[in-house]
Amino acid sequence: MMLTALLLVVVQNPAQDPRYERLDPDTRARVAVIVDSARAVGLPGEPLIHRALEGAMKNATGDRIVDAVRRLAGDLGMARDALGTKATTPELEAGVAALRAGATPAVLTRMRDVRHAPVTMALAVLADLVASGVPADSAAAALLVLAPTARDADLVEFRRAVERDIALGAPPAAATSVRLDATARSAQPGRP
Amino acid sequence: MFEERDDEDMLERVVRELRRPVSVDRAFDARVMSEITRPDAVIPVARPLRRVWPWLAAAAVLAAVLIARPWAHPSARPDAFQFVLVAPQAASVSLVGDFNDWDPTRAPMRSAHGGVWATVVALAPGRYRYAFLINGIEWRADPAAPAARDDEFGSPSSVVTVGGRRS
Repeated sequence: MMLTALLLVVVQNPAQDPRYERLDPDTRARVAVIVDSARAVGLPGEPLIHRALEGAMKNATGDRIVDAVRRLAGDLGMARDALGTKATTPELEAGVAALRAGATPAVLTRMRDVRHAPVTMALAVLADLVASGVPADSAAAALLVLAPTARDADLVEFRRAVERDIALGAPPAAATSVRLDATARSAQPGRP
Repeated sequence: MFEERDDEDMLERVVRELRRPVSVDRAFDARVMSEITRPDAVIPVARPLRRVWPWLAAAAVLAAVLIARPWAHPSARPDAFQFVLVAPQAASVSLVGDFNDWDPTRAPMRSAHGGVWATVVALAPGRYRYAFLINGIEWRADPAAPAARDDEFGSPSSVVTVGGRRS
């Protein structure tokens, strides 16, 4: 009972979260304001706290931490607008990664429409492919083709195959195209 | 026939011996009898245990149910992921990331042979940023995982995505 009450206090009052003690007092207060504001509009606070903790662990300055947290809050809002208010925290985080990789909000919305399963993995793979050198529009197009039928495991395997081909010297866009054909053929219709 | 009679004699002698009264100190006999007839003479802890036992059983069942969480969606349950880094010169390596609040004390890695450091972490569905911290000072991304593009703090991180649902 007491534990539940304590948890409620921590959840409702982020400034009481013991993790904030790893930030200096000024940064702590500024981050807490951003987290409070985000939660007030229905955005998740955990990704913001994690980003602040990452900055603290990496000895970033307070200004840099606050900038990163504020930017992430803005991008989470943009991802939520594109994915809808029912989007889960992992979906929003993956949406942010896809947006930062160069996908447009319209791609996120289309992904939500065509995929009945959670879009976390599809958007994450999109972002990961761009990080491997695949042009953002090629990656987005490929994932939109796969999203309706491919399982999460199929998407992960697709990403690994493309990365392997790139590591062996294939041009990223060509590797994506070739592997897309193979994965689309193996993905059975009707599977999430 | 002869042997059978011998057996009977032997049996009779044994029974007679066993039935022979034995002299026991009366005080000692009285103490034994009082201990046996005392209401709580069984085992001192047996009675409290009998009262607590149903509650202990109920608590064990509740704990098992809470751990198993049969009502949760199967894909929301954590999966175990192994993280590996080859760092022969390292004296210590920690795995830090979103999944452990970037706290190096929560996931120290163990070194096996040839400087291969490894640890296993249970991850619920989601997308996590992480990095390896070598000797408490040097940050290194996971060469076997996608890199985090948005590196805002000047040192590399990696990402791992676990599929499925998580609210």
